[in-house]
Amino acid sequence: MAELYVKPGNKERGWNDPPQFSYGLQTQAGGPRRSLLTKRVAAPQDGSPRVPASETSPGPPPMGPPPPSSKAPRSPPVGSGPASGVEPTSFPVESEAVMEDVLRPLEQALEDCRGHTRQVCDDISRRLALLQEQWAGGKLSIPVKKRMALLVQELSSHRWDAADDIHRSLMVDHVTEVSQWMVGVKRLIAEKRSLFSEEAANEEKSAATAEKNHTIPGFQQAS
Amino acid sequence: MATYLEFIQQNEERDGVRFSWNVWPSSRLEATRMVVPLACLLTPLKERPDLPPVQYEPVLCSRPTCKAVLNPLCQVDYRAKLWACNFCFQRNQFPPAYGGISEVNQPAELMPQFSTIEYVIQRGAQSPLIFLYVVDTCLEEDDLQALKESLQMSLSLLPPDALVGLITFGRMVQVHELSCEGISKSYVFRGTKDLTAKQIQDMLGLTKPAMPMQQARPAQPQEHPFASSRFLQPVHKIDMNLTDLLGELQRDPWPVTQGKRPLRSTGVALSIAVGLLEGTFPNTGARIMLFTGGPPTQGPGMVVGDELKIPIRSWHDIEKDNARFMKKATKHYEMLANRTAANGHCIDIYACALDQTGLLEMKCCANLTGGYMVMGDSFNTSLFKQTFQRIFTKDFNGDFRMAFGATLDVKELGVGGTSQWKICGLDPTSTLGIYFEVVNQHNTPIPQGGRGAIQFVTHYQHSSTQRRIRVTTIARNWADVQSQLRHIEAAFDQEAAAVLMARLGVFRAESEEGPDVLRWLDRQLIRLCQKFGQYNKEDPTSFRLSDSFSLYPQFMFHLRRSPFLQVFNNSPDESSYYRHHFARQDLTQSLIMIQPILYSYSFHGPPEPVLLDSSSILADRILLMDTFFQIVIYLGETIAQWRKAGYQDMPEYENFKHLLQAPLDDAQEILQARFPMPRYINTEHGGSQARFLLSKVNPSQTHNNLYAWGQETGAPILTDDVSLQVFMDHLKKLAVSSAC
Repeated sequence: MAELYVKPGNKERGWNDPPQFSYGLQTQAGGPRRSLLTKRVAAPQDGSPRVPASETSPGPPPMGPPPPSSKAPRSPPVGSGPASGVEPTSFPVESEAVMEDVLRPLEQALEDCRGHTRQVCDDISRRLALLQEQWAGGKLSIPVKKRMALLVQELSSHRWDAADDIHRSLMVDHVTEVSQWMVGVKRLIAEKRSLFSEEAANEEKSAATAEKNHTIPGFQQAS
Repeated sequence: MATYLEFIQQNEERDGVRFSWNVWPSSRLEATRMVVPLACLLTPLKERPDLPPVQYEPVLCSRPTCKAVLNPLCQVDYRAKLWACNFCFQRNQFPPAYGGISEVNQPAELMPQFSTIEYVIQRGAQSPLIFLYVVDTCLEEDDLQALKESLQMSLSLLPPDALVGLITFGRMVQVHELSCEGISKSYVFRGTKDLTAKQIQDMLGLTKPAMPMQQARPAQPQEHPFASSRFLQPVHKIDMNLTDLLGELQRDPWPVTQGKRPLRSTGVALSIAVGLLEGTFPNTGARIMLFTGGPPTQGPGMVVGDELKIPIRSWHDIEKDNARFMKKATKHYEMLANRTAANGHCIDIYACALDQTGLLEMKCCANLTGGYMVMGDSFNTSLFKQTFQRIFTKDFNGDFRMAFGATLDVKELGVGGTSQWKICGLDPTSTLGIYFEVVNQHNTPIPQGGRGAIQFVTHYQHSSTQRRIRVTTIARNWADVQSQLRHIEAAFDQEAAAVLMARLGVFRAESEEGPDVLRWLDRQLIRLCQKFGQYNKEDPTSFRLSDSFSLYPQFMFHLRRSPFLQVFNNSPDESSYYRHHFARQDLTQSLIMIQPILYSYSFHGPPEPVLLDSSSILADRILLMDTFFQIVIYLGETIAQWRKAGYQDMPEYENFKHLLQAPLDDAQEILQARFPMPRYINTEHGGSQARFLLSKVNPSQTHNNLYAWGQETGAPILTDDVSLQVFMDHLKKLAVSSAC
């Protein structure tokens, strides 16, 4: 789901700046890695440097081409090296995410949370407005819009951790674009999550009392 | 000795311990004759995905001067429910909860495979983690913008109940009050005057005056572990406002005239941060994260004046005793570092600038508290951004890898009492070097049982806020050096010994002259070769070292040339940075720093390690060099020409495309995981950046001896440095000589 790409570093500002890995690639790494390149060769005890078995002949550099490929061309290895540019995500290309499809569920979610403090809801609302403004003004890139659409899907399906992870990946990979309003979305996910677990807890409680009162099981009390 | 290598590796994997000697000399005199001290590298929080912590507290020996933790080396009487402490031989009763144990129903801590075990301490309040950002605003516009964005991003990576705070500084120091109302308030301090902790706490309103109506209560700083102060608020409450606050941060408004540096009050800013945390949250996990883009130029802790024409101190200045501010500044930061460590907090330094920022004076802040030191050119670089992100990497359990407030107790058999150190900040790769002194008098019989034992007990706060204890108990055989020399030799761990000696060398280099340190290192090497080499007196060509010593002279050769001991060509800040990381990394990474890894890629077979020598630089090879701080990919002359000609784009030369890709993929593996992120250099024969490779390889061919070799293999290095061959020749001559 996440974007997996490597961008070159900022050579203007940092000499030999290393490449930048997307959030998806970095979290994929996870856990302790076995260092692959850790072997050493001992210097020969008699002192002369080891001369490799085969080498090019001395003199002017050879003008000939490299040895041609003896095998049929294979498919390229997965994952590009640091020199390559941005790779598309692993989905098939679809039509651009529609703004309304993203904003409507977010505003709906906000409405659901209106029970909470007013200040917070105003803050979130302000940021959603900013998101709308930037989207409508064409200031957001396609990957950001795509991932926002995904985030909203996860939010609507109550998959809070997945939604949270997408918000994090957007903050890491596209902070310049999203920093002004993403924290509102983050808060919205948190509020919806706590609201949902409150409602679930209340339903359990009322179900328990319903059983106690011998009411018809599954019959919801008015909330 | 295949079996000893396996033994060493298994022990490292299980216990995070590597000893210089795995069979111990039985007397003090013999120990000194072995040259390399008896010491170990300990990684207290080594990642052990296979070791779930146990949810109970450790059982301790009841002798008040002992208090060793129950471990697999203890003798147990299952019938009488008694255990004998293996350190002081005290017999202890098992607590009631252990009533059901038996030979077939052992508690985990008695099983040999649990020589390392982790306990979760349930009692006590679980206080949240604290992150206090101390931010320099004397940055260029795009640098400040990049830093602001990184800080905003970090709010999404912090746990929701962590507390976060913000101090900004330039000419003045501003402590921001974090509140959920629209108005932002801050307390402003002059950057020129240092304040005591009490003054800071008073001025920030953190001390409650005694209320006459209530019972007389002495004024004390707010210490309730769950209360957050106005300056440190939970992320889940404050993230939106803090995001806005960060977004609105401006560059320091005080104008900087031509020929001047900005006035930067780093010393006071840090002082206020330390005082703030001291007053509100002593003894709980906290990180002070200092982000700075230049040297401190005013107030206590200033490292250079504001006149640009007077440069910041170089090694030359320091040697000539011409560094005006160094002693006083270092003292200021040492005072702060000691207080911070006493409070169980840590200080990180993120220094991004093209010129030096005063890492030499400030290094104690990171070194004494277990904090991080990151050095970059600008906050607007991938190196800073990703290194900073990696601080918040999660482990296999979804917890942060950072740990806080650690203390280490070391208990040895036979020596009364325990040694304790405060380490504070730790992560799963933090590795300590611990040096032991054998105190047995010569000719004392080997202690009962023939084995020595050491127990390492690390108390710390896990990032989940639980308090935990990690206990590692190890044992090794004692041996009489005279009669069992071969046995002791076989048990020598040359890799661990090299790192342990290197750490001693770097420690000496902080206070001794460079050449003296090299002489000391050389003397130890010669003595080691004299003791453990096989040779005929006065015959250098007969000299041989057994397998367990064969790599050691090479390590010493490269150590002598390393930036840890050679300060020439590095600034004092760079040397401090390299030494900081060298002093805390685990064995594998430390060895990479001493002797970089070099792998060769060619059409002739799979990638193979090659000698770090100029003879490895060949026209038809690609080299990958890892120095820990840099990853260098170097294309040999022919490879570079082929690439320039574009063969990789032709389908019939796809193998060439793969050859070019292979080192890039391997480099990526390293770049993706390492902290801090290394520089990445992709160069070729004749490229100016090739100097990174050329300066590291053993210069077996220089302009001095090129024609003496007879074959023109490899690339000659233009240097007057001595080569490994010459070094080894001298070493052998000295080792076999009766005169030494």
